[in-house]
Amino acid sequence: MNKILRASVAAAAVALALGGCDNRAELDPAAQIGPDPQLPQARNFLVPPMQVPKGVGWQENATPKVAAGLRIEKIAGGLMHPRQVYVLPNDDVLVVESNSPGTEATTTPKKLLSGMIMRRSGKSGKGGNRITLLRKKADGGQWEQHVFLEHLNSPFGVQLIGNTLYVANTDNIMKYAYTPGETRITDPGTELADLPSTINHHWTKALLASPDGTKLYVGVGSNSNITENGLEVEYRRAAVLEVDVASGASRVFASGLRNPTGLGWEPQTGRLWAIVNERDEIGADLVPDYLTSVQEGGFYGWPYSYYGQHVDARVSPQRPDLVKKAIKPDYALSSHVAPLGMHFYVGSGLPDKYRGGVFVAEHGSWDRSPLNGYKVGYVAFQDGKPVGKVEPVVTGFVSDDEKALYGAPVGLAEDREGALLIADDVGNSVWRVAAGGG
Amino acid sequence: MRSHVLQCRSRVATAIYDLLDPVAFGLFVAALIFDIVYGYSPEVLWGKGAAWLLAIGLVFAIIPRFINLAHVWIVGRRTAAGAEKLDFWLNLVAIVAAIVNAFVHSRDAYAVIPEGIWLSIVTVALLCVARIVLAFHKADFGELRHE
Repeated sequence: MNKILRASVAAAAVALALGGCDNRAELDPAAQIGPDPQLPQARNFLVPPMQVPKGVGWQENATPKVAAGLRIEKIAGGLMHPRQVYVLPNDDVLVVESNSPGTEATTTPKKLLSGMIMRRSGKSGKGGNRITLLRKKADGGQWEQHVFLEHLNSPFGVQLIGNTLYVANTDNIMKYAYTPGETRITDPGTELADLPSTINHHWTKALLASPDGTKLYVGVGSNSNITENGLEVEYRRAAVLEVDVASGASRVFASGLRNPTGLGWEPQTGRLWAIVNERDEIGADLVPDYLTSVQEGGFYGWPYSYYGQHVDARVSPQRPDLVKKAIKPDYALSSHVAPLGMHFYVGSGLPDKYRGGVFVAEHGSWDRSPLNGYKVGYVAFQDGKPVGKVEPVVTGFVSDDEKALYGAPVGLAEDREGALLIADDVGNSVWRVAAGGG
Repeated sequence: MRSHVLQCRSRVATAIYDLLDPVAFGLFVAALIFDIVYGYSPEVLWGKGAAWLLAIGLVFAIIPRFINLAHVWIVGRRTAAGAEKLDFWLNLVAIVAAIVNAFVHSRDAYAVIPEGIWLSIVTVALLCVARIVLAFHKADFGELRHE
């Protein structure tokens, strides 16, 4: 028996050594921030790097931490998985409460297990499929909550053009007549355009109107991490679509962007920028998520390559012709930070150093140990290009020992006073960051 | 001596073993076939199918492997034939290879290839050798009884 016992222990040790060794990140995230991130060799794992903090929410009056010169307050709590915030012209705040439609089939044993892990993290909380309106009471301090629009289908992006409100559900763009000042939409709405919605591995549809209000840009994520669901389900995905507001006709504006979760207009040049979530499972330090300008007709690599011509061997068949023309993104945010919200700051309410650059909400992911992201950062811009490193602005979403997750930032917006609003889908809250405090 | 060993083994356990063990073997053979097809075709169906076959094969292997462990090393610890011990070890290594292979098959898309094919070949080859060893042993045993 002893012999068997020894053999079993040896076999288990071999399995663990193969699976568990050396998975932790080796690079300082700072080495992967900026236009030229360090990119280590891609590796395949038996068990990819993973660390899942347990979602616990905020205790009583706990809040995220803010950088010097800022203060933070909770303006709404008890929401159903808030993902986006959007400020209307009268300073009312729309909060999109949403989560995955949960339509992705369990096609592998891995998916069966990852579903169980996901439930533990608090990131699978049920989405409200609705939009809530927040309005500051006249006496200040408190905020009213009104149910603004219900019965949506995993909505994410929302934009107002004139008096028409556009909502990007996971499967279409709906338009609704909006009367300034109202706290509930009564219009049943009409469909402007359909959006790719099979499987919905990445379900969010980011939405941005052109400044002249004639076009809508839609960020559509890929239907897989790296084509494991087949190439045919990636039609019109991993792309930014351009939708004509008048006709609803759409076309692919730019492609190869694995999961473009946020779009914005750079205020100085007027160019379109996006935040993109890159691929997983080839290393704790691969592949850095990024912030990039989006060129019309541009191809940014996914799935065939990353950061220009770094080929991903997991894709079959390979496409050297497409790899050759893949554009290298402008600015890496470091690996597995999971940027889910961006906002170019044009106000003047926050301290001077936050002018003209972009705030990025890093939701954080499980695919890196130690954790990375879980903060709202600021990237300064000069002459229409990002400069320097990501500066932490709002932190403390995860406990110091990285075991408990209190909240996670998603959508960002700016109100009339220039305060930064943050949707927090683990803490089910909306935070408001303004100047002041210490 | 050998017939004594066989008598000590529970008929129920032997029956369960004979029912479940070929199921696991068949599933591993099917996984190998799927892996080879996946190696030649980019259709993800084959890779995902192989992942399920391996996972289900491992589940079906649990009970027969424990029965075999008891038969060879507890009930028959002094009496089990060399061939039966060899069969046990070949199966053990095959199962370890299949477990590693199940993790390899958890990779996305074409990252399963080529390691997945090699590990499937190792698993099936070891199980085949084990079966042949045991078959020869049983044939010898049958001849002994007839003498």
